[in-house]
Amino acid sequence: MSTIKALVVDDSKIMRSAVKRALNNLMLADFDYVEAKDGEDALEKFNEEEIEIMFVDWNMPNMTGVEFSQAVREQGHDHIPIIMVTAEKSMGKVDKALNEGGANEYITKPFTADKMHKAISDYFDDDGNIAGGSDGDDDEDKSFFKGILNS
Amino acid sequence: MELAQIEELDQIPAELVGQVKESVFNTFESILGEELEYVEEGNGDGPLNGIIGNVTVFNSDHTISLMLAIPKDTALFFSKVFIGMELPFESDDMGDLVGEISNILAGDVAANVEKVGFRGQSSLPTATRGSDLTLFMPNKPPTKKMKFASENAEFLLTMVLSESN
Repeated sequence: MSTIKALVVDDSKIMRSAVKRALNNLMLADFDYVEAKDGEDALEKFNEEEIEIMFVDWNMPNMTGVEFSQAVREQGHDHIPIIMVTAEKSMGKVDKALNEGGANEYITKPFTADKMHKAISDYFDDDGNIAGGSDGDDDEDKSFFKGILNS
Repeated sequence: MELAQIEELDQIPAELVGQVKESVFNTFESILGEELEYVEEGNGDGPLNGIIGNVTVFNSDHTISLMLAIPKDTALFFSKVFIGMELPFESDDMGDLVGEISNILAGDVAANVEKVGFRGQSSLPTATRGSDLTLFMPNKPPTKKMKFASENAEFLLTMVLSESN
């Protein structure tokens, strides 16, 4: 099993630990974590490391998670999965993260192991490598979500 | 929902209180993994030995302030269920935890109050730890005090509606 370099961005150290613990428990891959405390810190670390997947909070000082995601996409990194893990739940926020921020998935806090697994399992193959991404139920969920947002 | 000028209100509109109460149930039943009850008689006027988590949901006109008063024993229980271990009450991590819980509550509140026409965004949370703490608001804006309890936890929520500066 190869090691996946994952960036975990949250201004709460406790929350970063919770995300890492959840990911470890899912055993989808062997992770090497890089942590960042806000969007600015994340962008700096993103440009220093070979990040393969990102778990990003929204509401942080200095630079929000969506601003960070937009910056990553503007650099042309369209293939790296961005998973928003946030307390923001309004449909407008979900819409903004997915459509303007370029996030691939949206997980609301507090999350369960099931919720995390459902959102990210399609991004890993059986050998623990990053796969092509969501192409099953999650896409249907996202389409459903976007359908609601657009209606 | 059109909110009157704050000085014309003697209490927070029931629709807003109802949505916030629903958010408390959504958030804490999920975190605690146990049934939560609204305690009718809880007035929250006694001094607190614990942590207060502060967060707001605001727009350009109005601000909903949420002050979660969490007794020490409940804070310790929150740490066990949220991160799987009991954090030292005096640690920075405990403040971080209560801030994060306040943030999660505010996210749910922001989404819920939108249903009754209050469109706002949540602030970053803060946490204050101490003993013999008493909550009070200057200028007496419309306020609703609520108490909640589950098998292993109890806490108070003070909700205040004020004009945004």
